[in-house]
Amino acid sequence: MKNRFKDAASYEKMICAGISILGFLCLWQLVVSFTAVGELLSGPLIVLSKFVTSIAEPIGTYTIQLHIFWSLSRVMIGFALGSAVGIVVGILMGWFKIIDAIVRPLFEIIRPIPPIAWIPLSILWFGLGEGSKYFLIFYAAFCGITMNAYSGVKSVDPVLIGAAKMLGANNRQVFTTIVLPSCIPHIFAGLQIAIGTSWATVVAAEMVRSTEGVGWMIIKGQDSNSTVQILVGIVAIGIVGYILAVSMRAIEAKLCVWRVRGK
Amino acid sequence: MKKKENYWYLSILSILAFIFIWWLFCDVLKMTKESTLPGPIKVMETFIKKLSSTAPDGATLIEHIGSSLKISMGGWAMGVVIGTPLGICMAWYKKIDLFVRPVFDLIRPVPGLAWIPLMIILFGIGLTSKIVTVFLSAFVPCVLNSYTGIRQTKDVHLWVGQTFGASNFQMLINIAVPTALPLVMTGVRVALGASWTCIVAAEMLASTKGLGYMIQQARGIFRPDIIICGMIAIGVIGALFSWLLSLIENRIVRGAKHI
Repeated sequence: MKNRFKDAASYEKMICAGISILGFLCLWQLVVSFTAVGELLSGPLIVLSKFVTSIAEPIGTYTIQLHIFWSLSRVMIGFALGSAVGIVVGILMGWFKIIDAIVRPLFEIIRPIPPIAWIPLSILWFGLGEGSKYFLIFYAAFCGITMNAYSGVKSVDPVLIGAAKMLGANNRQVFTTIVLPSCIPHIFAGLQIAIGTSWATVVAAEMVRSTEGVGWMIIKGQDSNSTVQILVGIVAIGIVGYILAVSMRAIEAKLCVWRVRGK
Repeated sequence: MKKKENYWYLSILSILAFIFIWWLFCDVLKMTKESTLPGPIKVMETFIKKLSSTAPDGATLIEHIGSSLKISMGGWAMGVVIGTPLGICMAWYKKIDLFVRPVFDLIRPVPGLAWIPLMIILFGIGLTSKIVTVFLSAFVPCVLNSYTGIRQTKDVHLWVGQTFGASNFQMLINIAVPTALPLVMTGVRVALGASWTCIVAAEMLASTKGLGYMIQQARGIFRPDIIICGMIAIGVIGALFSWLLSLIENRIVRGAKHI
C-alpha cells in the first residue's frame, strides 16, 4: 500500500456514483410504488417531472425560477450588507484594543443567539415584508464574518509585524501591507460559512412568513399536503445552496491564489 | 512591541452603558412602544414571572426549555452516534466511500430546516418529526468532519504501523482515529449548534411547547418582552453547551491543540 487516501480513478468514481444514485432513486421509487409509504410520499419520477414543468407552470403566483430569484435577491442584499459591516467591525476590533474592549462584550452577548431566534422580533420591528428578511440575513452574515475577520487579525504572525517595524514601517503601513493581506483567507472562510447560514436563514424566514420564495414553496406544500411540491422545493434549495458554496470557493480561488484553504 | 494594556473596565462599562441607553430610551424617554421594544426592567420582570407562570402559552419557561432540550439532545445524540462512525468508515474503506458518498453529497447541501415540512407530513406534528429533522441537521457535520479528520492521517504513520505488523483495523483504531479526534470533536460541536438552531425553527413552525413555540406565540400577541426572554434563554443555553463541549474536548483530545 503506497498511498492510502489516493482517490479512485475518475471513471471508476463516476460509475460507482451512477450506480449508487440510481440505486437510491430505484429504492425510493420501489418503496413509494409498492408500500403504504406511497400514500404519503411521492416518487422521484413525479418530483422530477413536476420540477421540470414548474419552470413553465407557476406554483402559487410565480414559476420556480422566480421563487428562487426572490429568495436569492433577499440573500444577496442582506449578505452584502452584513459582510461589508462585518469585515469592517471585525478588523477594527482585531486591530484597536480599545474598540475590542468596548464592542466585543456586546458582540459576545448577541453572537450565541441563532438568526432564526430573531425571526419573531424582526417581524415585530420591521413588519412582514422584505425589511425583516434583510435584517435576519444581515444578522446571520454579520455574526459569522465578524468573528472570522477578528480572529484573522489576531492570528497574524507577530514575527512579520516585528520585522516590518524593524524595517521602519509605521502603524498604518503594517496594517495595510501585513495585517490586511494575511487576514483575507480567514475572511473568506467566514464568507463561506455565512453564505450557507444566510441561505438556511432565508428558507426559515420564508417558512415562517412570506408570500413567495423557496421557503414559501415548501411550507405551502405542507399546508396542501403535497409532498411533490415540498420535494421540488427541497431539490431547488439543495441545488442553489450547492451553487452558492461552489461559486464562493471559485471566487476565493481567484482572489487569493497564494493560499487556498483546504483542498 | 506594544505593552500589555488591560481594558477590562471598558468592557464592563460598555455593557452597563448599553443597558443604560436601552433603559433611558425605553423607560425614561418612552421613545419606543411597549409592543415593539420594552425596557430592560420590563424584560427582567417578565423573565422572573415566566419562570413560574404558564400564561400566555400554557407552560412555564422551565418547561419550554426542558421540552426543547429533550428533543434537540435526542436528535443530536442520534446524529453523532450514526454520523461519526459513518464518516470514519467512508474515509477508511474505499468501497463504502465510492458508494455512499454520492448519495450523501445529494442531501448535504440541503439545510436541516428545509426538511421540516416533509417530516411533518411523514411523521405528524409530534416528537418523531422533530427528532428526525434535528437528526438530519446534526448528522451532516458529524460525517463531514470525521471524514476530513481521518483523511488527514499521515501516510508515514500508517507505514510505521504496517512495518510493525498492525492489521488494517488496528491501524484505523490506533492511528487514524486519534489523528481525527480533534476534527471529530469539532464536528460534534458544530452539530450541537445546528441541532439547537433546528429545534427552534421546528418549534416555530409546528409545536405546542418549546422555546421556539414560545417566541412565535409571543409575536402573535405582541409581547416582545417574552420574545426577548426566549431569545436570551436560547442564547445562554447555546453558549453553555459549546462551553461544556469545549471542556470535554480538552479532556479527551490530547496532543495537538486544534486550530
